[in-house]
Amino acid sequence: MSVPHLPSSPLDEAELRACRDEVGRLPITMRPALNQQLSGWSELFPYEQNRLLAFISGIRSFSPAQFETLTGPLRDIEFQMDVAHWNFSTKADTMENASMLARSPFYAEWRKQVERVFAAIESAVPPSPSGRSNSNRLILILLPESLPVSSIWGRKPWHRRGVEFRIDGPTSPVLQAAMHAALPPRQKGQEYSGPLPDSSDFWMIDADAVLGGLVLPGIPASVLDYETMRRFRDEFLAEVNTVPKDIAATDEILARIRRKEWESLWPRTLASDHRLRRFVVEVFLSGNGALIFSDAFVQWAASEAIRRARPRVLVARFGLRSKPKPFTSIAIFENQQKISAMHDEPDPQGSAVDALILARYIWLSAQRYPEGERTCCLCLSQASGSACVIAPEGSAPGWAAGATVRSDHVASWLTRLMT
Amino acid sequence: MEWNRRDLLKTAAALVLEQWAGARHLAFAQAPGGSGRKVIVVTCGGIRREDTFAEEGLANIPHLHTELLARGVFYPHVRNDGVTSHYNTISSILSGNWQRLDDWGKSRPASPTIFEYLRKQMRLRPEQVWFISSNKALTRQIGASSVREYGPDYGANVIFPKQLLINAVVRAASEGRPVHGADRVAVKPELEAILNLDNYDGLGWSISDASALDTPTLGIIQTAIDDLIRTNAPATGDEFTFLVSTEVMRRFAPSFLAITFSDMEVAHFGSYSLHLGGIRTVDRLVFELWNMIQELPAYKDQTTLLVMPEFGRDMDGSTTNGFFNHRQNSESTRDTWMLCVGEAVRTPTGIEEPVLQTDVCTTIARMFELKKLNLPGKPLPGLWL
Repeated sequence: MSVPHLPSSPLDEAELRACRDEVGRLPITMRPALNQQLSGWSELFPYEQNRLLAFISGIRSFSPAQFETLTGPLRDIEFQMDVAHWNFSTKADTMENASMLARSPFYAEWRKQVERVFAAIESAVPPSPSGRSNSNRLILILLPESLPVSSIWGRKPWHRRGVEFRIDGPTSPVLQAAMHAALPPRQKGQEYSGPLPDSSDFWMIDADAVLGGLVLPGIPASVLDYETMRRFRDEFLAEVNTVPKDIAATDEILARIRRKEWESLWPRTLASDHRLRRFVVEVFLSGNGALIFSDAFVQWAASEAIRRARPRVLVARFGLRSKPKPFTSIAIFENQQKISAMHDEPDPQGSAVDALILARYIWLSAQRYPEGERTCCLCLSQASGSACVIAPEGSAPGWAAGATVRSDHVASWLTRLMT
Repeated sequence: MEWNRRDLLKTAAALVLEQWAGARHLAFAQAPGGSGRKVIVVTCGGIRREDTFAEEGLANIPHLHTELLARGVFYPHVRNDGVTSHYNTISSILSGNWQRLDDWGKSRPASPTIFEYLRKQMRLRPEQVWFISSNKALTRQIGASSVREYGPDYGANVIFPKQLLINAVVRAASEGRPVHGADRVAVKPELEAILNLDNYDGLGWSISDASALDTPTLGIIQTAIDDLIRTNAPATGDEFTFLVSTEVMRRFAPSFLAITFSDMEVAHFGSYSLHLGGIRTVDRLVFELWNMIQELPAYKDQTTLLVMPEFGRDMDGSTTNGFFNHRQNSESTRDTWMLCVGEAVRTPTGIEEPVLQTDVCTTIARMFELKKLNLPGKPLPGLWL
């Protein structure tokens, strides 16, 4: 499906109702995620809004008879699954929904049918005017000095086009180049005149609190520093840990947490950005260790940002985690600072192992989408003084594996690539 | 691992068993420790092939791929065709039928478990079948099915040793008492409350004829745990589960014992290094379990040990976030392995033919010569049944 990159689209109640009506034509099990998105319309990034509108226009493009033919097999499966008699929410994705679907003996067939219907609707979407999916994008991954990395790729490169090389000089020119790359190409060489891009086009996600202070003035950015969110995280984790061993009760608690505003707990940098705060809440609620380990947060938040916002530039910086504490680490899901009086002890070796696989996962996340083809991934390790680059097809920098390249040359190449 | 710390864990494990026996007025000397075939099944969370029985993973399993592989029957392709959650998978292995239950163990398996078959047909006493688990996703319901002719009267003793430690820590912390070496007084009431007042409920244990635990031993457990806190080495849940399991073996010599390890499930929190650490711990503990089998007269030469992951983990690059999870419908998640060593093995070999996890129950039933069970699985090839 070709999704235009347009600014955020406000929808009035009538328009939202019309969208809901279209979603209501879909088989029951396809409705929850779409209805959930419509309910939180203002919390969606422009890419998500445009994608959802495009999908709904795809539904509209089918005649009733065509639509019946398309969705019939899925409705049949739902009938065999007895979905009508489940406690199945059509308003939002719930754990209970997921659990009931996964336990059904028809689960594999159901998935196939859902994928088929989605693909058919998406392919019916009329082509968009020139989108941005053809412009180059950048993922810059920073592995700081504290992570003892000897080789970023170890035994095998992340991709056949990848090159690992030595980098000479500070990383700051590369970071500056990445930030400038966040601006639309037409503004290069100008003083940020013209319309600025949406802040979801440029992400800085940090395991500590280093990147936030480096954002150039005037460049809209979505900045997430794990460290500055500590108060919020601690409270959030405490509430998540009240979840009992009961799926229905868990859904209720998660819905309550989702609705909560947490006003006084947000860091100043997020206080005025409602959409980004909701993004953080969703990242934390979707698990994947984001509330427990900073590097897991960096990876998962980056992957979700790529999925939901398709940014032009994303910078991810990993960091150190502490060693599991004796005894209390058996309850690793708990706040270790609170439940143990022992001092934190850093685990550089373990953190480096974690960061390397998680860095690759960010790259792999981008590869799932059409924009991945034009995405450059540059990963820098300060400890090893090395870097890896995977450039888009036809844009290779020409550096030989193992060669030493000055960081300002890397920055210049990045600037050219992103112009 | 430091030996002094392990001794402390061992003491705590022994005490848990003493309490169990004391509550049932059972003297260990009366335990049969009998002869006849014995089977131990070890399941160990979600582990990918690439982190174990693949070239790049062998370093994580030095004992499994050398000492044990050389004397075992290895099944490189064991398929989990069910729901790849812990409760459903383990109850499928134990019942020989794919279970499709609430993931969090709200309901009992829908078909009888091997525990019930054994106890009913062989008239085994309650202390002859045990389920000992680290996994906090499970509940006591796993020890017996909801089938009317079977059920809890024929079920296993189910204990979650790790949960005892977790509950003590969480309870102390929730009431504003961070766990600290000097904070002995704080830990004791947590344990008393959990073990005595809850009468096992807080732990999810299910033990035949259990009554309230006697308090004198609680203080000793507390001391053991308190000493454990003071050491500076990580104490894992699987270590404690292993020690409780070996205490059960020493004192009751059960005919059938199922153990589940779960340290590697830290993968859900995104630490690959800790996940690999969990795999290495299991590798070591399984080898120690094998050595213990050789040492104990009740087990030596008459015990078969089956070791298997419950499933793999999701593929790198999957929408389910790779190694973090185990819910993708992929070979990486569904295709796993099993190693069988001990009495049922006559010729060490590898069986390339794919088998199902539900074949395990049928195989165990055959080992114990259980009749007329109508199980869908086939006996595993390559074993002396």
